[in-house]
Amino acid sequence: MVQKPLVRRRRPSSLAASSDGVPGEGSGVSRRRTFTARRGFIILAFFLPAALFVGVFTYYPIVSGAQMAFRRWQLSNLIDNPWVGFHNFVTIFTDPSFGTIALNTVIWVVASLVPQFIIGFALALWLRRRFRFRGLYQALVFFPWAISGFLIGILFRWMFNGEFGVINDILIKVGLIDKGIPWLADPTTAMVAVIVANVWYGVTFFAIIILAALQSVPEELFEAAALDGASRTRTLFAVTVPYIATTLALTVLLRVIWILNFPDIIWAMTGGGPANQTHIVTTWMITMTQNGNYGIASALGLIIVAILMVFSAFYLLAIRPNKRQIG
Amino acid sequence: MINIESRTAKIVRFIFLGIWLIISLFPLYWIVITSLKPAGAVFRYPLQYWPAQFSLENYINIFSKAMFGRFMINSLIVALAAGVIATLISLLASYVLARFEFRNKTAVLMAFLVTQMIPAFIALGPLYLMMVKLKLVDNLLGLMLIYIAVCIPFSTIMLRGFFANIPDALEEAAMIDGCSRIGALFRVVVPVMKPGIIAAFLFNFINCWNELFLSATLMNKDANKTIPTALNGFITTFNIDWGSMSAAAVLTILPTMLMFALASRHIIQGLTAGAIKG
Amino acid sequence: MKFTRKVAAGVGVALACVTVLAGCSDDSGSGSGGTVTLQMVESLTNPARTTLLKSILSDFEKAHPTIKVELVSPPTDQADNKIQQMLQAGSGIDVLEVRDLTVGPFSTNKWLYDMTADMKDWAGWADFTDNAKAVSTTSGGTYFISSGFYGISLFYRKDLIQKAGFSEPPDSWDDLLTQATKIQGSAPNTYGYAFRGGKNGYTNITLAIEAYTADDIDLSNAYRLKNGSSMFADPRALAATKAYLNLFTNASPPSAVAWGYPEMVEGFSNGSVAFLLQDPEVIATLAQSTAITKEQWTTAPMPVGPTGKSIQPIATGGWGIAAASTHKPEAVKLIQYLSSADASLKFTQGNSMVPVIRGADKGDLYKTGPWQSYLTMNAAPTKYISASQPRGVSWWTDWGTKADADIQSVLINKMTPEQLLAGWDKYWTDKWASGAK
Repeated sequence: MVQKPLVRRRRPSSLAASSDGVPGEGSGVSRRRTFTARRGFIILAFFLPAALFVGVFTYYPIVSGAQMAFRRWQLSNLIDNPWVGFHNFVTIFTDPSFGTIALNTVIWVVASLVPQFIIGFALALWLRRRFRFRGLYQALVFFPWAISGFLIGILFRWMFNGEFGVINDILIKVGLIDKGIPWLADPTTAMVAVIVANVWYGVTFFAIIILAALQSVPEELFEAAALDGASRTRTLFAVTVPYIATTLALTVLLRVIWILNFPDIIWAMTGGGPANQTHIVTTWMITMTQNGNYGIASALGLIIVAILMVFSAFYLLAIRPNKRQIG
Repeated sequence: MINIESRTAKIVRFIFLGIWLIISLFPLYWIVITSLKPAGAVFRYPLQYWPAQFSLENYINIFSKAMFGRFMINSLIVALAAGVIATLISLLASYVLARFEFRNKTAVLMAFLVTQMIPAFIALGPLYLMMVKLKLVDNLLGLMLIYIAVCIPFSTIMLRGFFANIPDALEEAAMIDGCSRIGALFRVVVPVMKPGIIAAFLFNFINCWNELFLSATLMNKDANKTIPTALNGFITTFNIDWGSMSAAAVLTILPTMLMFALASRHIIQGLTAGAIKG
Repeated sequence: MKFTRKVAAGVGVALACVTVLAGCSDDSGSGSGGTVTLQMVESLTNPARTTLLKSILSDFEKAHPTIKVELVSPPTDQADNKIQQMLQAGSGIDVLEVRDLTVGPFSTNKWLYDMTADMKDWAGWADFTDNAKAVSTTSGGTYFISSGFYGISLFYRKDLIQKAGFSEPPDSWDDLLTQATKIQGSAPNTYGYAFRGGKNGYTNITLAIEAYTADDIDLSNAYRLKNGSSMFADPRALAATKAYLNLFTNASPPSAVAWGYPEMVEGFSNGSVAFLLQDPEVIATLAQSTAITKEQWTTAPMPVGPTGKSIQPIATGGWGIAAASTHKPEAVKLIQYLSSADASLKFTQGNSMVPVIRGADKGDLYKTGPWQSYLTMNAAPTKYISASQPRGVSWWTDWGTKADADIQSVLINKMTPEQLLAGWDKYWTDKWASGAK
């Protein structure tokens, strides 16, 4: 975009920055800043239940699980768990499968995310206009969001079945292939299959969020754009996209985190096979747990957290100047 | 919209929407058809896109051979209770996060966000041992407590976004009229935020309804299993009976799909008001 | 404040729900009134078997009115993990199914109770076969009492081999390849062999390698030759591997790369595959098939190698007691009951396993239909040689994961059979050299 943005207003919202920037502040400012015992009590009382639950049932187990990463912790001998420092990490990085798994994880995230985003965006754009039965259409098209990843995996495993699968049958009928492809038996086609399933599942999330964001763009902005004689495409890129840019960026971030942490579909469809060729980090972690290599599984978990935190930090830094430019 | 859509644009739009509708619904259609085929017909060749004969055999099977009714009730109890409680707790927490300034607030938000990045698997072992000590293993209450904890961070962050769009003048007016802070919150703010709260609850409910790994770890007896755990058992126990699997899948999808269909207007309305604030 | 009250009421109801739930699901451990509740967990779960086991348990409860047994049946492929987790937590588990695979790690971790003293004067030992007694008392104590044996046989479709022009089922791996290749594709969706490429696929390829090297196999460790080297290094192992892989290329459904137990059994039971190498428990499963009738299939002894011999690996499982159990005397009673002649026979026959009770295999059941092949094998111990694989070692699951991935790599042409065998030879030679157990 070379043109100057038509919009000056920016939706306030941010991820890391604390919750100020509420529109229409002013009257509340002075009150918000004064700290009295009563306010302290309310903060504590309102926040305590959430803090307790998350602390006891999330952080405590995570921290005590994390220390297994630095011990030898194996099913074959759980009595003797000496500290081994970074040995488990070394084992992971020197594993011959590590390269494949790392690459797969990147492919899984990128190849799932991009089509989800594009189709989701298109769907949202085209659903923004009212038409008859739009409500019904939304209800019908958005439902994959409500299904569990595991179940979606099972559903697609059945459809991609090499012998009785409906996808082969349709492709043969259409004339695209002569005989059935054993989808889940070949690393490349298996990866295609799991990604297709994930795209099918994830489009909805983008569509809903983007549709919601689009509907929040004030009508007067479009009117202004129209008065300026902007074309539809230009309106889209000069008005709409900048206005919802922050939402888009944060949605993408959230999806990256979720997709990476989402072993369910792969686990149900291929279990990481054939020959470990469709494993991503999280499915590998499940395999390690099932084999009784708890130390390694825990180390993998820490690696995932580290990658995601570094990624999020860089990502947030990267989208920040962008925002300033718009605003 | 100001500019009028051209005819071609309209046709393209509806073709696209039509294609996506088919893609979205086909897997569902296929699983329903599979579930209604009599045993044996599932593996008949050529494939039947419309069964020559319909049968409820598979549905009868999952209720008589497996306690599917029980699994559904368990899932419903856990998801409903955890969904409601988590939404309430998150509402309070998000209110504080949206309306008050205090030290370490950013740290608290980050702590909530980080939970989204941690694979649940890392916590499974310690959680199990903890539940053993609390005598809550193989117990729906135990599962519920954990689900509440799992749901809180995201729904708090989500609800905080909604609060941000509601001017505090609203509550202040109510408080001047003599309401307590809680009174103002529930009397004035909550009604305005209804779509947002529904969206958060639905999100929580669906997550709990669908959760597999925690439930598979913590539940032992058949009588305590939730649907995903039971389904997981269906597929791994001896023969993969695609007919019964499909029947179970249809019954699992149905409730959330219905809820979703009924509330999808609220969800979009709710998200429009709050968008997502990450 | 009407609103506040409404909310308060709502929270109250929710809390009440929680309390009620907590109340009604408090059923752990021993019940009241002198009744003891035993928690029992099975590992080799399947629906038919669970039903059978429950009926035996209810007989036990009738005979012992003060003992109740609660059976937990996790899905097979996660059962040992679940059991391990319960043992580690030391709660919710009194009696459990211990397998030859798990007895090693479980006893190393001191999770299993040694029943030697309780079983010393048990009258039931008299009915046990020598084999059953031997497996129950190895690994330095009596950690489980065997409930039956699993042996491999070849399930085949009588109608399909006839149609393909064969009068006899295959005797050797070569015959199997010939027949399966002929049947493959003879009709739409008809395949020769239910190849195991997925989970635990290594168990089948090692059968082929053992059959080819049967003359020199060390009977106490069927992965080793009598000269002390691993069987994978032997040139005959390469021939076996190639023959076995030909079964995949020429005679199996392509998606069998990912087939594990459920898919193989399903493939045979839905009528699309002609040959299946499996445990006898499949007999019970196949009896319920809606696609093939009892007249269409039976079993043959497992295929032999070029010298006319094969190795029958003995696999077993049985009942043991958790070290942390607070009801050991009752648990011992239960295990003695399950292992007594009547109950044990009911279990092995209903579940179609090789019995542990002396003379049971002379019964009528084992003379008919799919069971005959087991008699045939038993009657020819020099052709079908019994030997134990090193299933008790601590690295067995690790080995399984590695071996399965390697086979799949070969199937998708990412590894050569030579590399596969060299890798396996090194793996086992290193393990043995390190002196680990």
